Amino acid sequence: MRSLRRYLVTVLIALFTLISFVAALQSYKQSASRAEALFDQDLQILASSLSQQYQAGSQQQLGLALQVWQKGKLVYRSALAPETSMSDAEGFSEHNFAGKRWRVFRQTPTDLLTVIVAQPLTQRQQLADEVITASIYPVVLSLPLQALLIWLVVSKALSPIKRFSAQLSSKKANDLSPVELDQVPAELDQMLKTTNQLFARLADAFEREKRFASDVAHELRTPLSVLQVNLHNASQQWQRCGINDPEGSMLALQAGVERMSALIEQIMLLNRTNPEHFQARTEQLDLAGLCRQVVADWYPHIEKKQQQIELLGLEHLSLKGDAFALRLLVSNLVGNASKYTQVGGSIQLELSTDQDKAMLVVQDNGPGIAPEEYKRVFDRFYRVGGDRHQSGTIGSGLGLAIVRDIVVLHQGNISLGASDFSSGLKVTVELPL
Amino acid sequence: MLINTVLMFLRELLPLCLLLATLLVWHRTVWRSFALYFALPSVLMLSLISLKMVWVSEQLDGLGLELLYSFLYLSCFVLLCLSALKAQWALLSSALAAACLFSISGSNLLLYIWLPTQAENTPADLVLGSALGVGIGASIAVLWYYLLSELKQWRISSFALLLSLSGARQVMMASALLLQSDWLPAGPQLWQTEQLLSEQSELGFFLQALMGYEATPSLSQLLLYLLCFGLLFWCCSLMEKKR
Repeated sequence: MRSLRRYLVTVLIALFTLISFVAALQSYKQSASRAEALFDQDLQILASSLSQQYQAGSQQQLGLALQVWQKGKLVYRSALAPETSMSDAEGFSEHNFAGKRWRVFRQTPTDLLTVIVAQPLTQRQQLADEVITASIYPVVLSLPLQALLIWLVVSKALSPIKRFSAQLSSKKANDLSPVELDQVPAELDQMLKTTNQLFARLADAFEREKRFASDVAHELRTPLSVLQVNLHNASQQWQRCGINDPEGSMLALQAGVERMSALIEQIMLLNRTNPEHFQARTEQLDLAGLCRQVVADWYPHIEKKQQQIELLGLEHLSLKGDAFALRLLVSNLVGNASKYTQVGGSIQLELSTDQDKAMLVVQDNGPGIAPEEYKRVFDRFYRVGGDRHQSGTIGSGLGLAIVRDIVVLHQGNISLGASDFSSGLKVTVELPL
Repeated sequence: MLINTVLMFLRELLPLCLLLATLLVWHRTVWRSFALYFALPSVLMLSLISLKMVWVSEQLDGLGLELLYSFLYLSCFVLLCLSALKAQWALLSSALAAACLFSISGSNLLLYIWLPTQAENTPADLVLGSALGVGIGASIAVLWYYLLSELKQWRISSFALLLSLSGARQVMMASALLLQSDWLPAGPQLWQTEQLLSEQSELGFFLQALMGYEATPSLSQLLLYLLCFGLLFWCCSLMEKKR
């Protein structure tokens, strides 16, 4: 199909012409056949009308009424004709007699002779109806066929658009490969080319952005590490030389560098887990085992803050997911809980299933978050209370953004709420099994 | 009568329309050249036959026209074989094959229109009948063209079969004329399928135009038909293998 317009116009015109002409021919044939039968019937009626005169007790209701008047005297009348004149007007007229309405024709060929012929109107109407009905039937019957064929042709013509639309809607968020279609009509060709060019440009832009963020973070990480080492050495030297730092400038500098390092790490992780970039390597894994590993990783930090942590619920929870991403998800949630919970606080992880979903609930008895902040905490670089976060904990504002990206990547759901403890935050993650 | 005019136009145009649609699917990419190669010889041959029709019909003991038509039908078949065998001749020879068929149909229609018996038909009958016949023939050709294109898209190789049927149909028509002229021995009638599928019915009409359906074929006709069908099918298969 080169052009949708040409295909639709030619095929629909051909279909209409073919069906209409065939229907017209059928009408012609049917009407001709019906008319032939009616003419034969007329002959029969005429014969019958004449013969009734000579058939005693004839009860035939259909037929012509005939009268022949000569010099004002009725010399012949058929069985259906009355004894009085059926019409006084020359030519065609309509009259009532014998309980019926009649169409009458009166002819006076000479002054002495008058012939009057009459036919019941109902009979004439019936005959006309038969011919008309025979001619209309094929046209009416062809309509459903036309409708069906139009539906088929239009569906066929629009199928490339349907395939194009289906391919676009079945594309995943990170699939920027070009759309490929067979037999592209002219009208769709430019749209397809433009869409594919757009995809190519978008893929390039994403690739550039990804490379840029990754490169910048990577390039900054090395000098920051050097800076951290130098700061540490300088701090040691200050101590050895007995230099006092009453305003804590060195500690503030170290904290700033540490925060910047954490930020860069998070930017790199965010870049890796972004659903638009991330190519998930899904595998069957045990979420409970993964949680235990994360708790073990964080345990030194938790112990340092004298916090309690417990893992409740299922001991094994198998689901399909990306091991690296899910480990990062749990690590961020446990890390956040530990960081923002006061010394001696409690953290609880609970694993369960609900129909076809795996549920991970992480809650603490820290200060929690106000409900109006729930939506905003998933925004990148957003921190509750800004830089003057009441906990004074170093953070980048990217942890929950990364968690949300990972959940989206796994087609799951995340929600925040009040903790079951007297205070604190409860994070509920639902992942498909 | 109107119906006679319609049937006459359909009888002459439908085989040509089906052949043209089949050949156009084949030569879709070079349809302009095909149209040119078809139109010029068609007009030339039709003009010649029309101008010399009386003279031609008087030749060979009054069998001139029948024998000329037989020759044109057979030429159509030979040209179709040639188009399948020689790729470089395919466009020209297939256009000429269609032109042969056109010149027969065209001259028959001209004869019908100018025939003295036309006095029985009113001009309205003739105009309406020819419009109906041309309309139905052209519509079938358009639908046939898109149906074959669709089959081609689905990789269903119907071309060899349809072209072979069409070629064998031309030989069948030639054989009928040769039988009529006693140039071909009339063998015994093999079967009678008039009751099962009449040549005058819609389907019979279509099959006659497509593949030369004959309700009462003779042995010589059937053998000739099968031989020509097989030959053209073999040529088309060779062509498809070369592709």
